[in-house]
Amino acid sequence: MSLAVATKIARRELRGGLRGFRIFLACLILGVAAIAAVGSVREAISTGLEREGATILGGDAEIELTYRFAAPEERAWMDANATAVTEIVDFRSMAVFGTGDAPERALTQVKAIDDLYPLYGTVELDPALPLAEALAGDGGRPGAVMDPILVDRLGMAVGDLFKLGATEFVLTARILNEPDAGAGGFALGPRTMVQTAALEGSGLIQPGTLFETEYKMRLPDTADLDALSAEAEGDFNGARWRDRRNGAPGVQEFVDRLSSFLVLVGLAGLAVGGVGISAAVRSYLERKTAVIATLKTLGAETRTIFQTYFIQIGVLTVVGLGIGLALGAALPIALAPVLEDRLPVPATFTLHLRPLAEAALYGTLAALIFTLWPLAKVEDVRAATLFRDGAVAGGSRPRWLWFAVTALLFIALVGTAATLSGLWQLTFGAAVGLLGAFALLVLAARGVRSLAKYLAARRALRGRSALRLAFGAVGGPGGEALSVILSLGLGLTVLAAVGQIDSNLRGAIARDLPEVAPAFFMVDIQPDQIEPLTAGLTANPAVSNVESAPMLRGIITEINGQPAREVAGDHWVLQGDRGVTYSDRPVEGTNITHGAWWPEGYDGPAQISFATEEALEMGLKLGDALTVNILGRDITAEITSFREVDFSTAGIGFILSINPGALRGAPHSFISTVYAAPEAEAAILRDTSNAYPNITSIRVKDAIDRVTDVLAGIAAAITYGALATLITGGIVLIGAAAAGVYARTYEAAVLKTVGASRGTILRSFAARSALLGAAAGAVAIFAGALAGWGVMTFVMDLEYTFEPVSALLIVTGGVLATLVTGLLFAWGPLAARPARVLRARE
Amino acid sequence: MTETILSLSDAELTLDGNAGRVEILKGITLDIARGETVGLIGPSGSGKSSLLMLLGGLERATAGKVEVLGHDLTALDEDALARVRRHHMGVVFQSFHLIPTMTALENVATPLELAGAADAFERAEAELQAVGLGDRVHHYPAQLSGGEQQRVALARAAAPRPELLLADEPTGNLDGSTGAQIMDLLFDLNARHGATLVLVTHAPELADRCDRVIRLADGRIGEDARREAAE
Repeated sequence: MSLAVATKIARRELRGGLRGFRIFLACLILGVAAIAAVGSVREAISTGLEREGATILGGDAEIELTYRFAAPEERAWMDANATAVTEIVDFRSMAVFGTGDAPERALTQVKAIDDLYPLYGTVELDPALPLAEALAGDGGRPGAVMDPILVDRLGMAVGDLFKLGATEFVLTARILNEPDAGAGGFALGPRTMVQTAALEGSGLIQPGTLFETEYKMRLPDTADLDALSAEAEGDFNGARWRDRRNGAPGVQEFVDRLSSFLVLVGLAGLAVGGVGISAAVRSYLERKTAVIATLKTLGAETRTIFQTYFIQIGVLTVVGLGIGLALGAALPIALAPVLEDRLPVPATFTLHLRPLAEAALYGTLAALIFTLWPLAKVEDVRAATLFRDGAVAGGSRPRWLWFAVTALLFIALVGTAATLSGLWQLTFGAAVGLLGAFALLVLAARGVRSLAKYLAARRALRGRSALRLAFGAVGGPGGEALSVILSLGLGLTVLAAVGQIDSNLRGAIARDLPEVAPAFFMVDIQPDQIEPLTAGLTANPAVSNVESAPMLRGIITEINGQPAREVAGDHWVLQGDRGVTYSDRPVEGTNITHGAWWPEGYDGPAQISFATEEALEMGLKLGDALTVNILGRDITAEITSFREVDFSTAGIGFILSINPGALRGAPHSFISTVYAAPEAEAAILRDTSNAYPNITSIRVKDAIDRVTDVLAGIAAAITYGALATLITGGIVLIGAAAAGVYARTYEAAVLKTVGASRGTILRSFAARSALLGAAAGAVAIFAGALAGWGVMTFVMDLEYTFEPVSALLIVTGGVLATLVTGLLFAWGPLAARPARVLRARE
Repeated sequence: MTETILSLSDAELTLDGNAGRVEILKGITLDIARGETVGLIGPSGSGKSSLLMLLGGLERATAGKVEVLGHDLTALDEDALARVRRHHMGVVFQSFHLIPTMTALENVATPLELAGAADAFERAEAELQAVGLGDRVHHYPAQLSGGEQQRVALARAAAPRPELLLADEPTGNLDGSTGAQIMDLLFDLNARHGATLVLVTHAPELADRCDRVIRLADGRIGEDARREAAE
């Protein structure tokens, strides 16, 4: 009964239009649209990856082997189960163009293929040649196709000759699209594609060389992927299986993580908007006090009145959600052409319901959290209000029930966000951070009010009417201190936090780089090359140091006889293969933290020295038995010591070091780090690749640039994500300024009546805006820095440094924004004629 | 014997204001009989409107007892008070207090709807016709003159047929002739439905139309005169 009447009254009340709800709607729409858009892009990529799984992977399934080709029986298994199998050899090398004194050299990721490649999709080339024709070559030389970036870097043109190792190739085309490019992980060098047969005699694929083979299979439709996967991983030594169901797990994980983080940024934006939403509802209900009191006089119960306004706010929320969802769904579709160009993987931009449902849920919960509290205050409006101004019953806080309901909704929101994003730690951190910032801002507002009240009464301010008026207005009853500091402060806090994360991410590489980093990593050095190479390098006066170590690649498969991942979870050391070295003695300066190194010349059962920090993370202890698959052979060794490995020096660091006797006879190569003066780098690169064409030299500077680019991309995505928060903050600020217009108009009229000039009034308005903006900014710097520290330390696992420039810029921006909006909204009050204002008030 | 429907004994009202506690009503004792018309007069600040608020359960007495139609208003919560008003009282204000987003018809129908009347709109329309606004039923308050708005307010107060009608200076915001029309309507409605009317006014001629006039001064009843008795 009560609900039916409430619905009727609510419907009539809504005829009053959306006046006063523009801010409410704008905040809700922006927050929901941002979250829906991020979710839609994530879903578009996931759907694209799923749909194009086989194309991205280059087959229905793939078996990857490290360091070796498939054994005949393994190949037979593949041929028996698949309708087609293509073999790919993937390795790093140096592409050398030109002869004479200054040939151009660049690192490249070589993909050597057979005639069947690609099983799915097509390699698009410029000029548009069939791949087989392009790789067949010209004039007796084998052909090669290259990523345009590499072609440009080397200054080549189609038809030019270049060398990979000892073999000369002719560049026949640029690669426009490599269908299975997304399946590979992070590559330091751009792609070169050749026929595997053409590599014979190049010296690039030798025992101990770092290469991977990928066997991509076309499977019959009836193939049981799970069964095949279990069989392959069980029977093939050190094989890694992937299939079309998740063709690019790295990309998928990266996209999931980044978008989850962006959704959290969106939620922070929604929280900022929540302040605006709450203020809009409060001010609407304040305007409705007389109506509420009238309804009470007519016999309406509190419940009916609460339902009336709950329904109204509910309808507006539905409108806001609807527009927000429509925008969030439409934006990625509208921007699809631009986004598709920038994404390295296929994406299906269409209407995705799941992210919209997620955004709707967040929007509804946020709207409830921020509207219930002001709505509950209708309980306090008494019918006597109609007779006497301010006869609103005392309690400014709603009943505990509402507090409890709001708290429960908040917990539900945080729980939902944590569950859906999978980022529990970050979500809880963000929630606690926002609550903390909220509390700090309330405290700051109270502090500013008390201070302003105190200062307004000081003798020193007598005669400085503009300042005294400003302090009086901030410190006096009904001041705007709390609403402005809260709305501006929360917005600035989110922005300051994003600013800190952004500058820290961008600066991370440069800052964390060791003061003396090596100039090169050289890999694939054959055992007979290590001595002459080292001798040649150390003879060069520009080279200050050369460190070398034998290197093999191995996969940890078991810990104490149990599958490694079952024991130590998904630790990064267990993801893929790791470098393994051997040494009779610990490297000079090694800090053995537990146990003891094997004796020199030791030839007993295999022993391992493991990196201390990683061992602790994986729960390993001395005496544990590790099974490491090296070149297809399982080696089980006991951990006899832990040692500190510092990766931050960019020197050589191996997680695993094994006693030499255990690896005797295993083909391997060497890795060297070369410390040299920057000006000598080009000459070293030239001399080394001329003398040893098979050795790949990776310039540390190039690698760092590549990583920096990736980090800068992430930082940019976060900044774009925060854009919605910035706009929401602006809207809330404008809302707060607009809400004060009526009071300021009246104040200006009274002040003019008693003789204040417009200049004095304007200065007073400016001073109070600046004061409130500065207070909000100060809290934002502190809370934003705290949040930045939390994210960098616990989420990114990077060192945090306070970035004063970004912080100050944001706060200055905030103060200026308050000042400008405050002054813009002062224009009306200043222009109003006092007599009209005062008469209208009577 | 005449039935007492309204009874105050030693009722007090003290409010906390910015300037400290203010005693508004001091020891008011008063009985009003069913069907009586009572005028409350007195200078500004004497407590007339506050007394009316106590009678309507719009304000809670800080001491003493307020009984209306057998309900002890001092013992009821806000919602229970709202129910008492819904079923037994009509209130008319100086500032009309119509709901701006509702038409005249909807304004009048609202208390009937709140009371669960199925024929709320039919009764509301009849009520508006009774106050001479049959051609204004779909107008919004902003489209009506002050006198018309007050007539809507009168219709709204009278529609549920309350036993008690409370009016707070109902002509205070109207010019003389419009005010006179409104008062005629008010007394006419009251006479037709036999409600008890308590009227706050500054105008002696209006008070003179009441069966009984109570003069308040400084929060106390200074004079309580029955017109019939005086005559």
